[in-house]
Amino acid sequence: MAEDKTDETLRAPAEVKYAEELEWLESVDTDPKPFSWRLSPRMVRLFVLGSQRSDGLDREIPQKWFGDRSFVERSIVTLASDRGLLLIGDPGTGKSWLAELLSAAISRNSTLVVQGTAGTTEDHIKYSWNISMVIAKGQSRKSMIPSPIMTAMERGVIGRVEELTRSTSDVQDALISILSEKYVSIPELETDNIVFAKPGFSIIATANSRDRGVNDLSSALKRRFNFVRIPVVTNRTSEAEIVRFRTTELLRRHRIELEVPPSLLDILLQSFADLRAAAAAANSDDEKLESALSTAEQIGVLEDAVLHSTFFGDRTLRAETLGSALVGSLARRTPEDLAILNKYWHGVIEPRSRKEAGEWPGFLEGGRNAISTLS
Amino acid sequence: MNSPLIRERSSTFDALREQLLDAAAVFAGGDGLPAMLAGMVDDVDRALGEPLEIFPVCHHSPASALAMTRRLQEKQPQVIYLELCEDMRPLLDELRNCRLPVALQAFASQLDGFPEGAGPLSVIAPITEASAEYQAIAYALDTPGVELVLVDRPCDHVFSGERHDEPTSDPAEEPEKLHGDAVGVEIGELRPRFAELEEHLLHHGKVRHWSEWWDQYVEQPLSGADHDTYRQVMALIGSLFRRLRQDGDRLAGDEERERHMWTRIREHLATSGVDPGRCIHVCGAFHAVSRVEEFGLAGTDAYAIAPRTATAWLYGLIPSSHSAIEAQFGLAPGSVSIAAAGWAKATGRGGVRPYQLEGQKGTRKSSRKPAGVRPATGTAPVTDRLTGFLGRPPELDDVDEDELRGWCIDIVRLARRNGYLASTADAIAVFETSILLARMRNRARPTPYDFQDAAVTCIEKDTVPGRRDVAQLCTIMLGGDRVGQVGYESLPPLARDVQDRLTPLGIDLEKRTQQRVLLDLRAHPELQPCSDLLWRLRHLLPEGVVRPIMGTRGLGERAIQESWDVALGRHQRAIIELGYEGVTVEHVLEQRLRRVVTDPRATAGSALAAVEDAVRLLGGHRFADELGHRAVELLTTERSVDDAPEVLRRMRRLLAYYRTNRPGLPAWCEQFVTTGYAHYCTLLPTACVAEESGVREVGAMLGFLFTLEGLALSLGCDRAQLELSVAQSHPEEPAKIALLWAARLQLGMLTRDELRARCADLLANPLVVPAFPLYLSGFVQALDPVPALAPFVVEVLSTAFARLPDSVLLPWLPTLLTTLRTHAAELVPVLVREAARTFPADLAALDAWVPPWERPAAAVPTATVPAAAPVTGPVGELLARHREPTDAVAALLGIDGMWASSHSATAGPAANAVPELLAAHPATTAAVAALLDPG
Repeated sequence: MAEDKTDETLRAPAEVKYAEELEWLESVDTDPKPFSWRLSPRMVRLFVLGSQRSDGLDREIPQKWFGDRSFVERSIVTLASDRGLLLIGDPGTGKSWLAELLSAAISRNSTLVVQGTAGTTEDHIKYSWNISMVIAKGQSRKSMIPSPIMTAMERGVIGRVEELTRSTSDVQDALISILSEKYVSIPELETDNIVFAKPGFSIIATANSRDRGVNDLSSALKRRFNFVRIPVVTNRTSEAEIVRFRTTELLRRHRIELEVPPSLLDILLQSFADLRAAAAAANSDDEKLESALSTAEQIGVLEDAVLHSTFFGDRTLRAETLGSALVGSLARRTPEDLAILNKYWHGVIEPRSRKEAGEWPGFLEGGRNAISTLS
Repeated sequence: MNSPLIRERSSTFDALREQLLDAAAVFAGGDGLPAMLAGMVDDVDRALGEPLEIFPVCHHSPASALAMTRRLQEKQPQVIYLELCEDMRPLLDELRNCRLPVALQAFASQLDGFPEGAGPLSVIAPITEASAEYQAIAYALDTPGVELVLVDRPCDHVFSGERHDEPTSDPAEEPEKLHGDAVGVEIGELRPRFAELEEHLLHHGKVRHWSEWWDQYVEQPLSGADHDTYRQVMALIGSLFRRLRQDGDRLAGDEERERHMWTRIREHLATSGVDPGRCIHVCGAFHAVSRVEEFGLAGTDAYAIAPRTATAWLYGLIPSSHSAIEAQFGLAPGSVSIAAAGWAKATGRGGVRPYQLEGQKGTRKSSRKPAGVRPATGTAPVTDRLTGFLGRPPELDDVDEDELRGWCIDIVRLARRNGYLASTADAIAVFETSILLARMRNRARPTPYDFQDAAVTCIEKDTVPGRRDVAQLCTIMLGGDRVGQVGYESLPPLARDVQDRLTPLGIDLEKRTQQRVLLDLRAHPELQPCSDLLWRLRHLLPEGVVRPIMGTRGLGERAIQESWDVALGRHQRAIIELGYEGVTVEHVLEQRLRRVVTDPRATAGSALAAVEDAVRLLGGHRFADELGHRAVELLTTERSVDDAPEVLRRMRRLLAYYRTNRPGLPAWCEQFVTTGYAHYCTLLPTACVAEESGVREVGAMLGFLFTLEGLALSLGCDRAQLELSVAQSHPEEPAKIALLWAARLQLGMLTRDELRARCADLLANPLVVPAFPLYLSGFVQALDPVPALAPFVVEVLSTAFARLPDSVLLPWLPTLLTTLRTHAAELVPVLVREAARTFPADLAALDAWVPPWERPAAAVPTATVPAAAPVTGPVGELLARHREPTDAVAALLGIDGMWASSHSATAGPAANAVPELLAAHPATTAAVAALLDPG
């Protein structure tokens, strides 16, 4: 994970991307640090939420995660305590991003991740064996492949489990003993058969509240996690802030020089706000879009529109492109989603474009064309 | 700011001023900041230099209350000037009868000098126990020789210049809505006056809301501060908020109040001749640093207090609650409760013994003996405590481990009781997390807010199992919402009267729960007055205060058993506010009903409803008759017929009631019927063509004309008027045409055969067939005024079904159904019953069945009167014995009648039935005969 590879990777993990910032923060951090933490809790908070003038730092630390401060504080404090942290919320609310930032700041390694899926097995949580080596040399610590979680235990750092509720209950159960006993035993070995967790080890898991009921957490596991619920951002200002922050980053990654006009950003935010209001008022699932209408979804729409205008357009972002990108990303089910979008387009956007003009007529046009193409 | 302090004699705060100016020069260029900082120090200097001691306070601040208590004990002032509406003074003596928190309320519905529709106006000043003002009030009222003077502008002026057009809403039963839509006034409102400053403070203080900021940065550091430090810091904060503000309008209002207060203080000092050194002025910190010219004992006397308007203000106490205070003054949920908990803890620790009104309900008894006023202690010269306070970090208590541990255990227990799977392990985790959170937020000791966050983190999982989540449970645990109650002695006469009169029910009316009462009025007729009162309250009070579960009270109906849900204790405010309207419930009811009928928008229908309510709820005839006369007036001035169905329905009901319950109809009823007859005759031709009056209204008009015709004619109306008006009506809508045909049939202007022929024509004409359902709905509406039409309607429908081809009939059916449903839902059952009578009930009969209208005409009894069978039996004999009245009636009607011999009758089987029946029950006949012919 050398720093010089930054330019070659598609997406560098947070500890690489902000390496220099983290180094600097560590150098000025005078507060006591729990366990093997690289930063004190206050500095972790500062890294995630950005600095203020009143913090008295020599340089400005930009804000990286946007949301209520108390969520971050509660998360950090949980990691300093005996329990694991479970970030729960709708898809696209920035749970994984917060988890990544926290582990990058605390243990300078955010890549010890287990992705929870229906195919995840207990081996992914504990350890597995390198079969050819076992055949050649027999079972030993050398022929064992530790899981990311076991590695985190050995090093005393933060391990991550993504989408915990997607994995089956036996996999979840494997976490219970890790979280309470803080060791993993390897019965296949006769000696050196217990891996103890070093101080500083903890787990950040994320779970999708939309998946509730797929593989419900057992109460034993729930008890070992502190839940921090991350809500969908509905505050217009902070949402605009997030979209701007993330798209700038994406554009830099794609090496695209393109300006996102504020009026178009406004249109995007407004139409998402409208659609959310409509979804909140809907009575059945058929009356609302399948999409969770999260901030990440907005970023996706904007990214789509930007890429489209860069490669197939004239390198300026137009309202028409944004309209068709929005329809393209949100219309997942036919006819339900298309019908909802059609209703929205004719019932809300059309009157608004007549009244407010500006970029709205273009947006109307683009969306309408996309709807007619799809239907 | 930690440089050593150099104090000078000349001005107390010179050193601080210099230090601040230096700081300003370092941090910011320009003149703005230095000028402001210097100004703030000047403000503090000025406030503290005032010979009359100014005591700055903040609302819901235990620190303020503590400082107040200490100061009162030390200084023992003789006069207290309090920033509270001056006209609320008499209410304060009633506080001791109440359980706090309660709110002082001024209420006005008869307005003067306010725009139309501005009322009713309501001003509310909540009083909690953990407040500096309560300490001052308790001290002043219970210490002999101490005078309490309220100096703020009267309630009347609170509204002057204010636009007040928000819609009024019904206060519901939740505690947070206890204040309804009243305007709140509070002592010591202290909060940044513009959003950016508050946001800035919250952001940099790293707290979530204002209450938390205040708690951390002012409340905690000040809780143990001495008097001088307290006053100086509060004045400084007041000055900061005063200087950083935006809203000119509000400031103008504040300055107006300050002028008022100081003018009143000087007036009082001049008339009473008290030494200003033995007085204390309690006001919000914002007002303590006022810069108006009237400020201080040496201020100018140029301010003329505006006279009050003629608005009649009524005063009372209403129950309040922590949540209502939070909602009204925009405080964070739970903050007032947390302040109360802080106060309880501070006073429990000892050191300070708070003042408490003698006999205050719902509190621990205080054994303090009222001490007389002690001689004044000399006021020490002001020294600068501010520099020290600002310069050093706040002195905080050490972690109060016992308290925190107690909280952790309690919250886990409470969570478990509310369905959470919380265990001792959670209590430990909450403890640890609270301390970690507090440390991260730069606090030595976890505040209740930290504790709340920690509890949410550790106990709250993905779902809330019960009704309350952990955050709410924390608020409950830390004191919870307290709801005040106004004691019996402080209730308005009406509310006391209600309590007295409901005593026979045997329930505790002060309980805040809903109670079920059963009234067996047959076994306990003495409960009848209670039942009457409950029905009246039900009419006057909002939904849910008293609710009948069983039993109804209609016109002339009385239940023999009733059961009620009574929640008067929970809705004390509603009944107290009713007390502003009158002295007894009956009085208020009369006023309200009178208001209904004198309202400019009142209609005859609403007036009749008021009459009904008067009869139903108040009994007696005088008042109902008065309202009835007004209904007649309203009817004559009405120009639309929209109200006709309502008028018809209510009038029928009232007539039925009067006929059975009174010897004769009241004069207004007769008048109403005659006026109505003429009125509707006049309006009929217009209503038939007017588009805005529907078929239902015209039907109701005809219903009035036909069904009340007998009464109207007996009272001197002329039938010709009706015939003329029907002749003048030329409706164009199919439904109204059909209605009119029915009317003509009833009046004999059209025979049934003619009507039948017209309908046949309609059905034969394919161009008109689509409109046929509308005709039909007209006929159905006519069933009410012309009940005899029912067989005919069935006939028309059957013919339509028989004759129309399927291609016309099938598309037409849905239209028919919807038309019937929308236009005549209540009359369809009549039709169905009639059809059931007409059609055969079983299949076998159907084969042989011939519809009545197709039978030969002879089979149908003709309209000619059949030769009457001679009447036999006792009645006949009676008539035969006294022939004169019958002869006279016959002569009047122009019939040449002959008396048949009573013995020549040829009695058929039907004719025998009546005599047989009479013979079987001779007692009835004998009784009638005895009545008629006592001889």
